[in-house]
Amino acid sequence: MQYVIIGNGIAGVNAAEAIRRMDPNGRIVMIGDEAFPPYCRPMISMVLEGSVPLAKLPIRQASFYDDCKIEPILGNRVTELDVDAGRVDVNGKHVAYDKLLIASGADPRPIRAEGLELGNIVYMRTEAHVRRMLDALDGGARRALVLGGGLVGFKAAYGLMCRGLAVTMLIRSGYPLSMQVDAFAGGMILDTLTAHGLDVRVDIAAEVFEGKDTVEAARLSDGSRLDCDLVVIGKGVLPALDFVPRDRIEVDLGLVVDPFLQTSAPNVFAAGDAAESIDVARQARWVNAIWPEAAAQGKVAGINMAGRTVPYERSLSRNVIRIFDLDVMTAGVVDPQVITGAEVITRFDPATRHYRQLVFQEDRLVGMTLVNAIEQGGVLMALIQNRIPVAGRRERLLAPGFNYRALA
Amino acid sequence: MKQVVVHPERCVGCMQCQVACAVAHSEAKQLVPAQFESPRPRPRIHVGAGPYNEGFPNRCRHCDPAPCLLACLPGAITRVAETATVMINVDTCINCASCAMACPFGVIRYHEDRSAQAGKTVAVKCDNCLARQREDGIPACVEACLSAALTFETLDAAYKRQTDAVARSVSAVAAAEALAPGWALLNAHKKARLELLTSPAPSDEKRAAGNAREDTHVRHD
Repeated sequence: MQYVIIGNGIAGVNAAEAIRRMDPNGRIVMIGDEAFPPYCRPMISMVLEGSVPLAKLPIRQASFYDDCKIEPILGNRVTELDVDAGRVDVNGKHVAYDKLLIASGADPRPIRAEGLELGNIVYMRTEAHVRRMLDALDGGARRALVLGGGLVGFKAAYGLMCRGLAVTMLIRSGYPLSMQVDAFAGGMILDTLTAHGLDVRVDIAAEVFEGKDTVEAARLSDGSRLDCDLVVIGKGVLPALDFVPRDRIEVDLGLVVDPFLQTSAPNVFAAGDAAESIDVARQARWVNAIWPEAAAQGKVAGINMAGRTVPYERSLSRNVIRIFDLDVMTAGVVDPQVITGAEVITRFDPATRHYRQLVFQEDRLVGMTLVNAIEQGGVLMALIQNRIPVAGRRERLLAPGFNYRALA
Repeated sequence: MKQVVVHPERCVGCMQCQVACAVAHSEAKQLVPAQFESPRPRPRIHVGAGPYNEGFPNRCRHCDPAPCLLACLPGAITRVAETATVMINVDTCINCASCAMACPFGVIRYHEDRSAQAGKTVAVKCDNCLARQREDGIPACVEACLSAALTFETLDAAYKRQTDAVARSVSAVAAAEALAPGWALLNAHKKARLELLTSPAPSDEKRAAGNAREDTHVRHD
């Protein structure tokens, strides 16, 4: 059996390990764009803020490929996929597969502006990106401009503030993380960030970047000019699927997969940021481009590729973020407008600054936003993910500490 | 191999397991001096309350496969197969709370601990008292539990007891004596008392939520 895995992120790594456990003799070829040892992508923001050293990023030994008897092809992307012939092309070579996993991940969504070729304008996605940002800091960067208030932009802004830079953030919604948290929690986050000196500007885009070699200033859509010596673009990600023949495999935003993480093409599986499966809370197809999803999907995809049939029906958007003195945990539906029949209960305690918003649909919990007292948020998440009917008084779930017995 | 088995129906909510756990993970291993240690030792077992204030000893289940292990960003969580224990390496832990999001039982806490470097906040949870077990001891929570809500036994023995209970339940006569009456009586008493306390006035409804202590600042949107 010849397995080919596209991508050496956590989905690809977990898939390879699952395959190797079940099939000691199959041949596994792993194609990765990044030559760095498998590492923890979410931790690059902690490297930026300085709480984790760069050396701590790898999550596997450098000998990972040898240990699992994997043939790595690193430093290049797959250019073509031929589902009829059962092969992929990389670096001008054909690689045949019996089972293929597409775990190619996602790339930063590009922006349109003049002067993007200047130095010190970076995306924040890979370990190479964060290295460039650290180089810019070493080079004396003092004023940063962050484009986008989503997870990436937000973490970039927080990291650079921790490093002592003056940071301006341009966002479209009224508060950061509008896709992750409700308006009240968003306001708490915004207040905390601005209290620590973040300059937030709403509904403004950067149009032109100016400078000699590296960026020195940005001209904004309101006509103003902003001095900056580092620009971070964090406008979300898009699945990296350039090589996928869309007439042969069903692609929506991501590769559409069934509960066994199979695509519409035979023997082709997908997992992680490139895959689009049914989201538990929304009960609709959704790309949940987050690390824990990629880790879980990769493992299940590997098991299915190795021949055991295991469904994965737990996809759920979720996040946990600690910034300054705020802890934020969020999962599922945060904007009740996006589903029908949503019922919302909230509680805010000004003394402790504990906040909770819970979104119900019929007897199921489908979404949560917690600010502070997040330790037991996993219990709520399990209720969402396992679609457990919530009987009794729902308000109990708003208490910071509770247990399954309290639900009886 | 023996493991801690939890019997929530027997818990009387005395919280002695919490005290014993904190002391067992202190430097001094004695209650009085342990209270003056810094960081102050904290329990890794948490007694919560049910709707009628019945106790619920909540403790790491050392799941296999463990969701926290799969979710851990820096790979700080591992499984020690010999003792069926899920362990957190405090040196590798980065306090990101990814495990809090993954744990369906809510048993992980985040604070300083004597096992970690001073001043560092880390994820802390039950370690099955491996240090005590190495010295032929049993987990401190089990030793402290007087109502047998926590037992230390092989899973085979625990399963057999459950199987026997199911077998007995097919006979009405045998089933009547099968389960200890004391706890059922206690829980029935707690339930009746709370219902008496809370039934008449709707404004008293809040008191029924035994574990919801923060009801003073409710905001309903």
